[in-house]
Amino acid sequence: MSRVLVVEDEAHLAEGLRFNMEAEGYQVQVVETGEAALDLIASEAPPFDVVVLDVMLPGKDGFEVMSELRQAGQFIPTLMLTARGHPEDVIKGFAAGADDYLTKPFELAILLARIRSLLRRREWLKSVQGRVATPEQTDSFSFGDKSVNFELLQLRVGERTFPLTLMEANLLRYLIQHEGKPVARKKMLEEVWGVHEDTDTRPIDNFIVRLRRYIEHDPTHPRHLITLRGVGYRFVAHPDQPV
Amino acid sequence: MVVAGRRKSIAFFISLGAGLIVVTLLLYVGWVLLDWRHGILLILGILLLSMIIAGVVINTIFLVREIRRNEQHDSFINAVTHELKTPVASIRLYLQTLQTRDVDEAKRQDFYRIMLEDSDRLLGTIEQVLRTGRMGASSRKLNLARIDLDGVVLECLGRARTLHHVAEESLRYQPGPPITIMGDPDEVRAAVSNLIDNAVKYSGTPVDVTVETAKVDAKYVAVRVKDQGVGIPQVELKQIFKRFYRVPGPLATRVKGTGLGLYIVRSVAKRHGGRAWAESAGPGQGSTFVLQLPIAK
Repeated sequence: MSRVLVVEDEAHLAEGLRFNMEAEGYQVQVVETGEAALDLIASEAPPFDVVVLDVMLPGKDGFEVMSELRQAGQFIPTLMLTARGHPEDVIKGFAAGADDYLTKPFELAILLARIRSLLRRREWLKSVQGRVATPEQTDSFSFGDKSVNFELLQLRVGERTFPLTLMEANLLRYLIQHEGKPVARKKMLEEVWGVHEDTDTRPIDNFIVRLRRYIEHDPTHPRHLITLRGVGYRFVAHPDQPV
Repeated sequence: MVVAGRRKSIAFFISLGAGLIVVTLLLYVGWVLLDWRHGILLILGILLLSMIIAGVVINTIFLVREIRRNEQHDSFINAVTHELKTPVASIRLYLQTLQTRDVDEAKRQDFYRIMLEDSDRLLGTIEQVLRTGRMGASSRKLNLARIDLDGVVLECLGRARTLHHVAEESLRYQPGPPITIMGDPDEVRAAVSNLIDNAVKYSGTPVDVTVETAKVDAKYVAVRVKDQGVGIPQVELKQIFKRFYRVPGPLATRVKGTGLGLYIVRSVAKRHGGRAWAESAGPGQGSTFVLQLPIAK
């Protein structure tokens, strides 16, 4: 049974969410503050499968909780659920490490579908990780002074270590697997996000911006993640070596 | 109205800035062109320079004030967005739940109760915002009538007990002698309600609030709302009555509000020829809010 943690200080909303998620067959736990959520996630075994996180919380807000979770090496798929729907808020949420973002008021069916999608991705990742035990598969990958550990969702650049979100890791893995070749945005959406409809491809650019911040010496002049105008991106592991 | 006021104040900064630049240019050109040894010119130069310095100081003060006002405005918009969207989100969630799932009768009744409470909360926020708009329109006249203060306080207490699920012994009333005031019943009710709501909201648990009415002198009566809650720092005692103002810190997120309640209280008091103020020994020491209104002749 999948375990969901709901971090929501509005009692009515929390209760409604609990009722619906339990009806979906999830085991649900509700906490009212960010601090309580951080404590619970750190101590809980087995870990939660999905976190639904409100932004306007007493004490630490949702953005802070999100960043702290990721910094602490907790990469549980997280959906931020908030009344704040400005583009800058959404971007802030993703930058903090959220996997998905939904504004209030929301459609119940869409919320449940998104939770299912996060759970499904987690299952896919688990099954892929189970399959890729052979050395040539990319459980970890090194290029220059950088190395990515897909199992731990960690990226090391020199002495620094960056935690990656699930989607960041999946996207990077996909680009690495197609090293040197152009990869179309739509292809990435299909292969990494599992979306087949005519979805807006712009969110990919936000992910690329974040990945560049980690791996590029100068993100404004990328050498590893090259933009191909009108197409998508190309990953180059060793830009100094002649092709 | 707020926007128009703001435009006016921004226009003032721009004119002041432009004026200062002109004075600086005059000073500079004058200094170069004219003989510095002439004493009068030196004095003129000193005067102009003092004007510039004073102007820059004034400009900075006003600019900082404008930035603060902007910040308060932003946090108000955030708070209102939250206060409007949260109950709507909750009501929609329960309606969609009822629409899509089999819910037993007991749960169904529970959902109806929750939705009603949420719609009350929504209505409260809307009324608060509309009332603030009306307060701003100073031309609006009061609908003065003779009001039995006891009756108003009892009505507000009853409403607050239901709304916040508080027992009678936690929200007590110590009435003074029966007093009739001259006021707008709707506004007086809103002001007393806001004070009681605040006292309960900032009490934490357990709630321990006392409301008293007492004659101050021959002209005035005071409604005192006393809580044992979070208290107020000395420097904030006046600030909290300003429009949109909320004491910064984690409490502002924990206790939901728009920053309009006490502004309404103070405006009502002023419009009736009375006054409103807060007393507190400091954080954690509880606080007392006093609304002083004129007695009917």
